[in-house]
Amino acid sequence: MDLIIGGAYQGKRRYAQTHFGIPEESVFTCREDGRIDWSAPCIAGLEEFAFSCVKTGRDPVAIFRSHRENWSRSVLICGDISSGVVPLGAENRAWREASGRLSAYLAGEADTVTRMFCGLAQKLK
Amino acid sequence: MTVFISGGCKNGKSFLAQSAALRLSGGRNLYYVATMIPSDGEDRARIARHRADRAGLGFRTLELGRDVSRCLALAAPGATFLVDSVTALLLNEMFPGEQYAAPDPDAPRRCVDGLLRIAAEAGNAVFVSDYIYSDAARYDAFTENYRRDLASVDRALASACDTVLELCSGRATVHKGVWDI
Repeated sequence: MDLIIGGAYQGKRRYAQTHFGIPEESVFTCREDGRIDWSAPCIAGLEEFAFSCVKTGRDPVAIFRSHRENWSRSVLICGDISSGVVPLGAENRAWREASGRLSAYLAGEADTVTRMFCGLAQKLK
Repeated sequence: MTVFISGGCKNGKSFLAQSAALRLSGGRNLYYVATMIPSDGEDRARIARHRADRAGLGFRTLELGRDVSRCLALAAPGATFLVDSVTALLLNEMFPGEQYAAPDPDAPRRCVDGLLRIAAEAGNAVFVSDYIYSDAARYDAFTENYRRDLASVDRALASACDTVLELCSGRATVHKGVWDI
C-alpha cells in the first residue's frame, strides 16, 4: 500500500495519477455517508471517512484493520488536518484525533509514505 | 535564482527570505516588494516592525498591493526582488476596487501571471507565502475558495522556482533544488 498525505490542495490526487498511474475516474472519494468502495485502486479523502466515523461512533482504525486484505495493494490518500489551533467544537477535536490516528496507523502499514507540499512530493517512508 | 518559501506563521520565513535576497543580490539593486495594503493600526504596526527588521540591509521598498510585476519596470535590469507575501497579494487582487462586493474569480490567474513574470525576468527573486492547509476546520465558502486559490498560486510558483523551502522554527526543509545559502 502506498499512502499519500498532505494539506488541502497540495496535489495529492495529481500525484496518485502521475506517480502511480491511477486514472482520475478510478479514484474513490470518501463522503459524509462513510461508505468505502474497497475494490477501488485508490481511496481518497480518508480524513472525511474519519469524520463520518466520529459522527456514527465508529473507530476508523478498527475498520481499516478488519479490511486489511482489501487495501494492501491500494493507493490511499489522507488529508493532513493536524496543524491548526485545537478546534473549539468537540466534534472537530474528535475528528482531528480520529484522522490523525488513522493516518499514523496507515503510515505504519504502508510500503511508501509521501507527503505533498505545494505540488512537490516529499518521501517520508 | 528563484526561491519559493512557505510554512506556518512565525516560523522565520520573512527573516530567511531577507537573508536569501541579500546574499543573492550581493547587496546591490535589491528591492522589497511589499504587497500588504494596511487597513488598520495592527497592519501598520506589523509593517513598521518589518521595516525596522530590514533597516540598513539595503532594500528599497516598493509598495505594490496589486499588479505586482510592475516592480520590473520600477527597478534596474538584473534586480533582486523579495515579494512578501503571496498571501496578501491574492487577497488584494480578489478585491481590485471599492466597487467589488464579491471576490474577482480572475484574481488567482493575475497573481500567477505577475509572479511568474517576475520569476522569469528578474535577476533573482524570492517569494514568501503561507501554509494554511492543515487544520481541522470547516470554513465558509469564501475562506475555502481563498485557501484553494492560494494553493493554486503556491503550486504554480513552486513549480516555476529553482528552489522550494518549507520553514519550521527557522529551519528549512528543501523540497526542490539546492539550498546552500
